[in-house]
Amino acid sequence: MSIEVLVDADWAVAHLADPKVVFVEVDEDTAAYDTNHIAGAIKINWRTDLQDGTRRDFVSKAGFEALLSKNGIANDDTIVLYGGNNNWFAAYAFWYFRLYGHQDVRLLDGGRKKWELDGRELVAEVPARAATTYVATEQDRTLRAFRDDVLNAIGTQNLVDVRSPDEYAGRLLAPAHLPQEASQVGGHIPTAANIPWSKAANEDGTFKSIDELKALYTGAGVDLGKDTIAYCRIGERSAHTWFVLHELLGVKNVKNYDGSWTEYGSLVGVPVALGDEPGNA
Amino acid sequence: MSSCGAVVGGVSLDRVDVATQAVIQGVVQKNGVPVKVGYVRLLDSGNEFTAEVPVSTAGEFRFFAAAGKWTVVALVPGGSARASVTAELGKIADIDVLVG
Repeated sequence: MSIEVLVDADWAVAHLADPKVVFVEVDEDTAAYDTNHIAGAIKINWRTDLQDGTRRDFVSKAGFEALLSKNGIANDDTIVLYGGNNNWFAAYAFWYFRLYGHQDVRLLDGGRKKWELDGRELVAEVPARAATTYVATEQDRTLRAFRDDVLNAIGTQNLVDVRSPDEYAGRLLAPAHLPQEASQVGGHIPTAANIPWSKAANEDGTFKSIDELKALYTGAGVDLGKDTIAYCRIGERSAHTWFVLHELLGVKNVKNYDGSWTEYGSLVGVPVALGDEPGNA
Repeated sequence: MSSCGAVVGGVSLDRVDVATQAVIQGVVQKNGVPVKVGYVRLLDSGNEFTAEVPVSTAGEFRFFAAAGKWTVVALVPGGSARASVTAELGKIADIDVLVG
């Protein structure tokens, strides 16, 4: 059975009352959900629900099982993720659900922004779903890159830096909606191509067409036959690009490096490139 | 680890040392009234996307850029508008964006 991983608002509206379709809003800013959300949607908090809280790592398999069970999500449910920030954190959650083996997970094209700009209904009522007994798989490490994977990829695999050109070059140390920080050096991983996540999306947050997306990456010199690692600052914008490459374009070996620049830019002794060019291995 | 999440209206300046930042901020208005729903994008001098925030209920937005020329684009239900602004380190550049 082919599963359509990207759904539009009309599909969403037609499935709002389907008990086997669970809408999940994923935002770091939970105030957005608490104010209003798509009818029937539940909330997952990127920071408090999906991170370990002590170590810089994800919740364990048991923790993920407990999270989904508590929220009334069953293994055979269709999960539809959406959120703000042009679906950055929803795409991160999509990748995360895939890591732990959920089969039928989808993304609402355009996320919360398009829903709001189109004037669609949002409600304040929080649904109650009966608890389940969710069973996850072990993490699929073929989808997740760690720092040694990244170091070994320099000059040999595709490295795709999806941050803005100014972050890539080292002129900004954080996305420009945040105060500029000083904990990391600026720059990028040598040989990484700069293909900002935003080039894969339209102004309203929807994804560009498949033909446009293919042209975007191949036009930037990415050999889609090679292994690829995407990164950004903490791994949520690169989850957006991972979704494009792995789920929409069907590229086989694509990993998301969730350590991203906040880890790499703090490492001692690793190579860093400055400026607008990829640099040498 | 700090988040990449965009705060509604932009991050408050309360705990920010503005002397180290090049702040761009303003209000989005439609027909002379601040909008309650909308998004503002920051584009660099090459027109590349750099950041985006949802406006506050008073139409406010704020960015922390680098010194130089930038463009802000407001997206609101039923319209959009853009404005140019120059940011300087240690200063706050105020720019209102008028839609319609």
